Amino acid sequence: MITIEHLARSFKAAASPRKGWSLKRTPAPVVHAVRDVDFAAPDGRITGLPGPNGAGKTATLRMLAGLIAPDAGRITVDGVDVASRPLEALARMGVLSDSRGLYTRLTARENIVYYGALQGMTRDAAHHRAESLARMLDMYALLERRTDGFSQGERMKTALARALVHDPANIVLDEPTNGLDVVATRALRESLRFLRSPEGGGKCIVFSTHIMQEVERLCDSVVVVSQGLSVAAGTVAELLERTGQQDFEEAFVKLAFAHEDAIGTIGKGVPA
Amino acid sequence: MKFLSVALAVYKKEIIDALRDRRTMLIVLVTGVLMGPLILIALSGFIASLESRAEQREVYVSGLDHGPSLRNYFERQTWTVKAAPVDFEAQMRSSKFADPVVVVPEDFETGILHGDTPVVELVIDSANKQSASTAPRVAQLLGGFSRERAALSLAMRGVSRVLLDQMQVEERDLASTQTRAIRITGMLPFFVLMAVLYGALNAALDTTAGERERGSLEPLVMNPADSLALVLGKWGAVASVGMMVALLNCFSFLPAQWLLRSDTLQAMFQFGWREALMFLVVLLPFAAALSAVLMAVAIRCKSFKEAQASTAFLILGVSLMPMMTLFNQSGDEGWHLWVPALAQNTLMTQVLKGEDFTLPQLAVPLLVCALLTAGGLWFVSHHLRRAAVK
Repeated sequence: MITIEHLARSFKAAASPRKGWSLKRTPAPVVHAVRDVDFAAPDGRITGLPGPNGAGKTATLRMLAGLIAPDAGRITVDGVDVASRPLEALARMGVLSDSRGLYTRLTARENIVYYGALQGMTRDAAHHRAESLARMLDMYALLERRTDGFSQGERMKTALARALVHDPANIVLDEPTNGLDVVATRALRESLRFLRSPEGGGKCIVFSTHIMQEVERLCDSVVVVSQGLSVAAGTVAELLERTGQQDFEEAFVKLAFAHEDAIGTIGKGVPA
Repeated sequence: MKFLSVALAVYKKEIIDALRDRRTMLIVLVTGVLMGPLILIALSGFIASLESRAEQREVYVSGLDHGPSLRNYFERQTWTVKAAPVDFEAQMRSSKFADPVVVVPEDFETGILHGDTPVVELVIDSANKQSASTAPRVAQLLGGFSRERAALSLAMRGVSRVLLDQMQVEERDLASTQTRAIRITGMLPFFVLMAVLYGALNAALDTTAGERERGSLEPLVMNPADSLALVLGKWGAVASVGMMVALLNCFSFLPAQWLLRSDTLQAMFQFGWREALMFLVVLLPFAAALSAVLMAVAIRCKSFKEAQASTAFLILGVSLMPMMTLFNQSGDEGWHLWVPALAQNTLMTQVLKGEDFTLPQLAVPLLVCALLTAGGLWFVSHHLRRAAVK
């Protein structure tokens, strides 16, 4: 169970270069990446965070993983406050982040077992877990190969297995289908459905995406994020009904961008 | 307990990772192992050529026919007299001809007979090491001729030659063979320091900026592990590589001595197990500190390339510090021990001179290294999470 309450975070954008020989530098604009994101993701459900590029999804997930501290708001994972007990919260989460670099000189198995060790697992338990994850993600044949030269899909599978090695109750995925082909996407979808089911452990799964098809096919509940705000929440059916649309993509555009029009220009690039 | 097991897991992984980077590792190790022998061979070749030149007893003379008495004297002293090439000046300037040349004027013989003091030129090129090193011996030879003539003329007038020498000068050289050798072997510590630096450099950059560039740092810090534990493991691996290079480098000098061609150098360069161990005592803390500082510089860089540029000033520092002793003629000073790289250079030079360093002398650089290591590690662990998301 993950709860995010009124989360906000702004960043200083890179300062614009000096003009000519002038010593004056225009002050770096402040970007409000996340302004008020608020939702709860219960166990045994897949919660989707669809949003356009730059909506604040990745920033939200990084705050969830304790990588950056929020300016305001609170995040708890199974009741553990991320800000005050980050390591404890991280132990309950498996995070597949935006950057998912592997160690190319290690085999897929070594990559997975390494993360198991960092999670405090014993060697045997980590190896055992790596094998069962490889079976679930259909990557058993890859296990003993060095990850150098892996395809996009193979890399993603390895990164996912690495994130799930400690069998976390909460799974956080940042745009997991990026760069995956149809077959790999379908396989991933199957895996997520299994993890959500009682046999798979009834995990709490949160994933961000900008592909509406994913949301429609997979999510039990949806939180639309736009301009750093969670603008709408509900099931796919509920959101369709609320917007009076047949097509989820249309509904999404209406929810995400209607709000943006209302905010107008104050959203981005407010000078400090 | 978890802290240590995490640090150990990171250490193991980084070592495996570094060892599997075969090509880089091979280059680092081969240069580490070969450097000792290569430098010594080059040095022994250099010294051997100086020695053979010194033993040659050859003198080049221009205008040989103008001074038969001079020629006679040279030959009596068992020197071989050779005619200098006609264009010896031009050849000397272009470094094609290295020996000093005695130029005898046309009226030399008559001048001597009439009791004039004819001027004999000794032409050398002081920019040329070989020419400069043999010149004093030729000058001494010429002085001998002059003294002989003087003694003869005095004897003819019934005056004792002893009147000319109102005192005797005797040289007593306090330098031991090894201290004299320092002029030649003095550059060894510099090469050893550079080997350690380049050994640690690659690993330090790979575990910090390299991880950022590959996008593997962000997932790494998303593990429930203390930043300091992660950094300790990484630093341990980097320092191990640096120390391994130091170890190989120091011990490569032992077998390298068998290859020495020059007997003089063999006598001057006394490097046994004891010296190798003393080198290591100095080098190991330095490798540890250097690894931490390199990592601290590199963690702020987004890519390997950027990190290479940023560490350039550090490399420059390590290579320039030992030079201070070359430029500074006032000898070793107390503060040298407080400056990293310079301190190590000073202590290693001392070992090569055959002098032991004392414990307080070792304590200062050790303290500096410990502080640098702690500071570097604190900095990296402090910036690790921040670096992961930028």
